Order: sequence, then structure tokens, then C-alpha cells
Amino acid sequence: MIPMIDWLIFATLLLIVGAYGVLTSKNGIVVLMSIEIMLNASNVSLVTFAAYSSELHGFNDTMGQVITLASITVAAAEVAVGLAILLVLYKRYGTIDVTKMNFLRW
Amino acid sequence: MTTTAEYFAVMSPQIILLIFALICPALDLWLKMRKGIAYWTLIGLAAVGIIETLALIPETRSLVSFLFWTDPPTTEVFQISAFSQLFTIVFIFVGGLVAYASPPYIRKEKHHGEYYALLLIAVTGMSFVASAADLIVIFVGLEIASISSYALTGFQKSVKRSTEAAMKYFIVGGFSSAITLFGISLVYGAGGSSNLAQLGTLVTVGGALEPIVILGIGMLIVGLGFKIAAVPFHMWAPDVYEGAPTTITALLAAGSKKMGVAAFFKLFLVALLAVKADWDVVISIVAVLTMTVGNLVAIQQESVKRMLAYSSIAQAGYILIAIPVATDYAVAGGILHVITHAAMKSGAFFVIVALTVVGLGETMKDFTGLNKRSPFLAFSMAIFVLSLAGIPPLAGFYSKFVLFSSAVFEASGAYSWLIWLAVAGILNSALSLFYYARIIKSMYVDKGESTERLPVPMSIKIVIAIALIATIVIGIYPEPFLSASLGAAEALNNLLPIGL
Repeated sequence: MIPMIDWLIFATLLLIVGAYGVLTSKNGIVVLMSIEIMLNASNVSLVTFAAYSSELHGFNDTMGQVITLASITVAAAEVAVGLAILLVLYKRYGTIDVTKMNFLRW
Repeated sequence: MTTTAEYFAVMSPQIILLIFALICPALDLWLKMRKGIAYWTLIGLAAVGIIETLALIPETRSLVSFLFWTDPPTTEVFQISAFSQLFTIVFIFVGGLVAYASPPYIRKEKHHGEYYALLLIAVTGMSFVASAADLIVIFVGLEIASISSYALTGFQKSVKRSTEAAMKYFIVGGFSSAITLFGISLVYGAGGSSNLAQLGTLVTVGGALEPIVILGIGMLIVGLGFKIAAVPFHMWAPDVYEGAPTTITALLAAGSKKMGVAAFFKLFLVALLAVKADWDVVISIVAVLTMTVGNLVAIQQESVKRMLAYSSIAQAGYILIAIPVATDYAVAGGILHVITHAAMKSGAFFVIVALTVVGLGETMKDFTGLNKRSPFLAFSMAIFVLSLAGIPPLAGFYSKFVLFSSAVFEASGAYSWLIWLAVAGILNSALSLFYYARIIKSMYVDKGESTERLPVPMSIKIVIAIALIATIVIGIYPEPFLSASLGAAEALNNLLPIGL
């Protein structure tokens, strides 16, 4: 069996990749995808903790998997609203480059 | 044995709000009367407000997880207590004021039905967080409220800055949600339960998993810090507050921010209380930074809307004092400040709504000589900013007094540094008076270009009057509000599970 720490390192790396994407990319769609990667990092970590709960705490706990289901649903809703906002943004600014938005002082 | 119907009766306020929200878009289609939807929204909010205030439930009731039908039920996810009721009433109060002030402000926009539906859903999400007894409900509640606020922020699709504010709010909000969820996953993994009260006993000092808990605490402070706009995670707030429609700014400052505070209280004062030594210094530093930076930057602002946004950041710093002090009295002070801040800050934003509706702007210039043009608006704005600065006998003074004095009471022995929180708070209140006095001076002393009377719509006047009465009444008769806050603080302490 793969040790738990490997999964946690994988989740942390995913989170860092996602955060890097949010902070550096210009394209609005890429930012959206990076946020999704960050949410999925949390999902990996939640499922890992649920799967290894009998080793960690001595009892079986499935709540982590339930939280993951809820967070997948939430992520879908978030993408829908995000894409709608990007669409309006494209109509208004003619671009989805998030660094071009400086009407308000950032 | 509790039946399914009884489980859902606990959730009835949220279910009622959702039903009213889902009917709003249909009303827009069939009813040609725009104001009708606002009244419909108000009816829904009032119904829930009456349930929450009149049907005060003596003992705590909870919704046991129906996802795993075990017998006896072990995981509870949802709990009604004095804490959740008080916070839900605050959210409903703010939501009602916003709904009633909105028709004149958004009259040029389309899709009124969706506006009120999203408003109701945002209030539902906030009350979910207030009633949460489980990590999953906190996360889902935060997201329900945040996602509808993103859409509401970008509601004025024809206005460039509204769209831009929505985009910024969406990126920062999504980023912070992801970090919060990662923090939740680490706390859940280290504790082995997602129930807040069980976590309170399972997460302990010196365990083998404490490094994971500390990492989780860091993630939660960052993620929730973004949600309540604490320094250094505040960069988004002024832009979003300035760009959003002003009625929605009132909702964000007085509602969304309070939801983050409720989540902070639930996570740190229930689930992570045993490891208080790991986070109290960090949160104290964040609190002091938040109030200082908020006030310092507010001084330089020319736009009053942006100045109020920075002052709202500073107010969040005052509320954060309650968390490291962590006594019932301090938490009561924090909750009382949530109530008073909801009244005075939303009132100040509604004055800006009134000025925008009559065709003026939101800069300091538009406030010049306001006393001659509309004595009522000038007087209300003066009361709101004086209360924000903490001048007795107004509401802001009393809640700040409770907060700061609680820090002084606790400051002894190893915790003698808590006194510096009170000192920082008092110095910051003095500092904030500087820019609040500027508004008052320009309204009362400076001569404006015009002395023409302003035709302020009746509904906005009523909303401002309600906020004004709340600000003055809480200041003069604080006892009932303080005892309600103390009850809520005790309820937060008594958040205990069934099977433990």
C-alpha cells in the first residue's frame, strides 16, 4: 500500500501548482482552471485522510469522502458563475486578460 | 427516535428563504410591478425573522446527519442555538434593509427577479454558517453566500467597474475558498472527525499529528482572513466594495464579513480551542495589523465609498480581538460589535445609495454642504461615522468598550500582552476620528456649490431611519443587546455533540 505521506505530498504539490497558476497567469480561463486544481488538491487530501483513518485514529471515518462530494458540487457551481462573469467581462473589455483590468486601483 | 420531519423542522428558516428565493425570478416574469419583488423578498425575510425571534428555542436543537443513517445517530451537522439565532437575525436585518432600499437604486437594470433571488440565497448561506455544527456545513454555507455575492457584485452589467469588481472578487474568493478547504481537510485529518464539538476534544496539544493541525490553522487563518478582509489579505476589499452596486456593498460589509466572523468563532473557539497556544499570537498580530492599516489607508481616500471600505477593514480588526481573548465576555463583545457594525456601516452605505440615486457621486466633493441640501442625510451620516469612531453614547462606543475591556480583564500572567490589543484598539479609534471628522466638516462647515434640496426617495429614507434608530437605541439601552450577545457566547461554548 502506498504510504499516506505520499498522497499528502501529492495534494500539497497540486495546491502549490494551482496557487502558482492563480498568481501568475494572465488568461482568465487559466485562472479559473488553477482555482479548480486547488480545490481538487483539497479533495485528494480529504479522501486520503478518510481512507487512512483506521490507521491514523483506529476507527473508520467516511466523512472526508462526503465533504469531497459536496466540494465537487460547489466547484461546479463556482465554475458556472466564473464563466458567466468572464463572458460579461469579454463583452465589456474585449479581452479576458485579468492584468488589463485596472479601472479600479488593485 | 427523531423523524425526518423533525430533522428538517430545524432547518425551516433556511428552507423558507430558499422557497421565497426560487419564486422571485418567476414573479419578475409574471408581475410587471418591479417593487412587488422587493416586497416579496421582505415578506420572506420577515417570516424567517419572526420565526427566529419569537420561536426562541429554550434548548439547543440539532439536525443530525441524515447522510449516514446510523442508530443511534452520531454525527450532527446543523444546530440551532442562541448563537445561530442572533447571527441569523443580523443577516436578515441587513438583507431586509438592502431589499427595501434596492428598487430606486437598480431601477435602470434588468433582471430584478434574479437580484432578489440571489440576495435571499446569500442570506441563506450566511445563516447556514451561523448554524453549522460541522466543517462541511461551514464550507458549503460560505460557498453558497460567496457564489451568489460574486453574481450580485457584477449585477450592473453595463457598468465597467461592476464587472471588474466581480472578476476580482471571484478570483480572490475562489482562491481563498480553496485554501480554506485545504485547511479544513488538514484539521479534519488530524482530528479524525468533521464535527466541530468532537474536534474540540480530539485535537489536543502534543499529539503526533500536531504539525498537521498547525499547518491547517495557518491555512484557515489565510483563507478566512481573505473572507473577512484582514490585513495582509485585504487588497481585494476596497476595489470590490467600490465597484459593486452600493446596496450590495452594504450587504458585503455588513453581511458577508459577519459570516466570516461567525466561521472564525466556530472554528477557532470550538474546534481548535484546545490548541489555542498555537494561534492566539498570530491572530492578535493580524488583528492589530488589520485595524492599523485599515485606518491609516482610509485617511488618504477621496472617495467616501472607498474610505468606508477601509474603515470596514479596520472594524474587522476590532472584532478579531475577541478571538485571542476567548472569554465569554470577549466573545459577547465581538458579537455585539457585529450587531452594531451591521447597523452603522450599512446605514453609512445607504446614505451613499441615496446620494447616487439623486444623481450625485460618492466622493468627498459630493458631501460638501450636504447639511443645506438634505439635513436628514447629513445628520444620519454624522451619527453613523461618530458611532463608527466610537463616540458615546452611540452604539459603536458600547461594543468597543466591551471588546477592549475584555482584553484588559484577561491581561495577567502569561497573557499580559493581551493589554496591547486594547491599547492598539483605543489608539486606532482616535486615529479613525481624523477621517470621520473630515466627512462631518465637509457636510456641515464647508459651503457647497448648490443649496438645492435633494429629492431622496421615501424607501431609502425609511431604511436610513431604521439603521439610525438601531444605532442610537443600542447606544442608549445596550443591556438587552449585551445580554443577548452573552447568551450567544455561552451557546457557542455549549456547542456539545449528542454522543459525547
